[in-house]
Amino acid sequence: MADQPNTMIGKVFLTKLIDWMNPKTTISFLLFLFSTCFVFAKTITICKTGCDFNSIKTAVDSSKSGDSLFIKTGLYKESNIVIYKKSLYITGEKGTVIDTQNKGYGFSVEATDIIIKNLTIKNIEVSYTKEYAAILLFKSYDFVIENITVERAFFGFLVQKSKDGIIKNNTISGEGKAEADSGNAIHLWHCENVKVLNNDVRRMRDGIYLEFGNSSYIANNYSTQNMRYGLHFMFSNDNAYENNTFEANGAGVAVMFSKRIKMFNNLFKKNWGTASYGILLKEINDAELQHNIFEDNTIGVNADGTNRITFTENTFKNNGYAIKVHGACYDNIYSKNNFLHNSFDLSYSGKLNSNKFENNYWSNYTGYDLDKDGIGDVPYRPVKLFSYLVNRTPESIVLLRSLFIDIINFSEKVSPVFTPENLIDNKPLMHKVTW
Amino acid sequence: MKRLSILIILCSFFSCSKTPQPINYGTDMCHFCQMTIVTKTHAAQMVTTKGKQYKFDAIECMIRFLEDKQDIMASGNLFIANYNQPGTMIDAKTATYAICEEITSPMGANLSGFKNTETAKKIINGRPAQYYDWEGIFNKIN
Repeated sequence: MADQPNTMIGKVFLTKLIDWMNPKTTISFLLFLFSTCFVFAKTITICKTGCDFNSIKTAVDSSKSGDSLFIKTGLYKESNIVIYKKSLYITGEKGTVIDTQNKGYGFSVEATDIIIKNLTIKNIEVSYTKEYAAILLFKSYDFVIENITVERAFFGFLVQKSKDGIIKNNTISGEGKAEADSGNAIHLWHCENVKVLNNDVRRMRDGIYLEFGNSSYIANNYSTQNMRYGLHFMFSNDNAYENNTFEANGAGVAVMFSKRIKMFNNLFKKNWGTASYGILLKEINDAELQHNIFEDNTIGVNADGTNRITFTENTFKNNGYAIKVHGACYDNIYSKNNFLHNSFDLSYSGKLNSNKFENNYWSNYTGYDLDKDGIGDVPYRPVKLFSYLVNRTPESIVLLRSLFIDIINFSEKVSPVFTPENLIDNKPLMHKVTW
Repeated sequence: MKRLSILIILCSFFSCSKTPQPINYGTDMCHFCQMTIVTKTHAAQMVTTKGKQYKFDAIECMIRFLEDKQDIMASGNLFIANYNQPGTMIDAKTATYAICEEITSPMGANLSGFKNTETAKKIINGRPAQYYDWEGIFNKIN
């Protein structure tokens, strides 16, 4: 008798259900069940013989939204595979290679909810006027591009006007013969909220390029031997990049005309050459640099027109110039950084302009700390007269490390005439900063 | 030694001339925005009456650079890349300019240069675009 109320409730529920199920809703309910049979997980296989299809293109053309495509091992000589307004999950077996044979795009996608995984795409056509890519995404949302190897790429992935995507674990490499003849490995144009993770990009024009790309996150990538920049931001706001390595690129990273960029834990290494630098900051506002390492660059940081940028706990090691500040830089704060064995710690144009240098460790500091509070008792002047001279007459660099230069540097240290008088670190640290 | 002397003569010849020095794509920097010049379809350059060479990665960079330098603009030789023939330079003041959303340029202005209006229209091929002459584009950008 105890379960009487329960059966009562059951009965009431059932009658309610029958009431609700008038003929109209029943039909639509049945229709729903019927349609789901077809929508549900159809997996289409592709291989040379014995599969549903032997060409990726025809498989894509005859698939329905929601289908999975499985491409079995083999070489597919196909290009310009168009996915238009269909949600597809495309995966390849290990050893699946698509050779576009220098004919246009690999995949050209305009779709929502799309996955492309585990493929090798190679031989992308080079063109001056068309940006041919292994994968072109246009107005695509919720996309995943994963484990794709692109060889002999012109552009790797070109993502335009798209949102909410992940690009991870890909390897993109180009021929890298001439800068003008190669495209960018990962190029985001008018994109939002895209995550670019664990990619290896090399021998391209720019490794990763965000042009009008907002709220994106770039982490753990390795970018090397690219002709122009390892990573490039242009008109892109509210982005962050972390734990990336930029090694031996034309220049490491260029952040231009952008706001609120966070740059943490990156390594800028071996960007060596007359026009080369670890990072170029051009017309940047409100950025943060923390825990980055700049090592063996001609110029570590090249700053031009930067406002309200904080440099905290970065290490500048063995660079030609650690930091080169051009005009129009205001309210930048450099604190707790390590400046280790750079030829020039700082080169400066114009006045100090409310920029601050404080609590940094300078390996060239020769002062003392009598009260043993870890802070040098004598202020440090990071700009030497010689760096001012080299700025005006670059050829004078041949005098580097000569006695004459030591003497003029010393005289300038005693009574500054040419270098900004108030450009001093009042509290130079006696020990390296660790974090 | 002979080579060297030829080089010196060549150098002295170039240093005073108003002809544009070829751009080293991939190494030369834009005078205005400091980016490396890479796009053969959109580069620009200028030689002043004194023979000083300026190179730009994009036409819009040259125009922005010239904004407050009317005298240099009037007297100097201005060149832009011919979109139709990548790598070749044409006179900037007689060229036709097109702003077309679908042809992106390095500094975000979507601006390309053509020898004349006919070729511009042929290349743009019906896509939405606005056409300008030198004066027009100068006022549009600045």
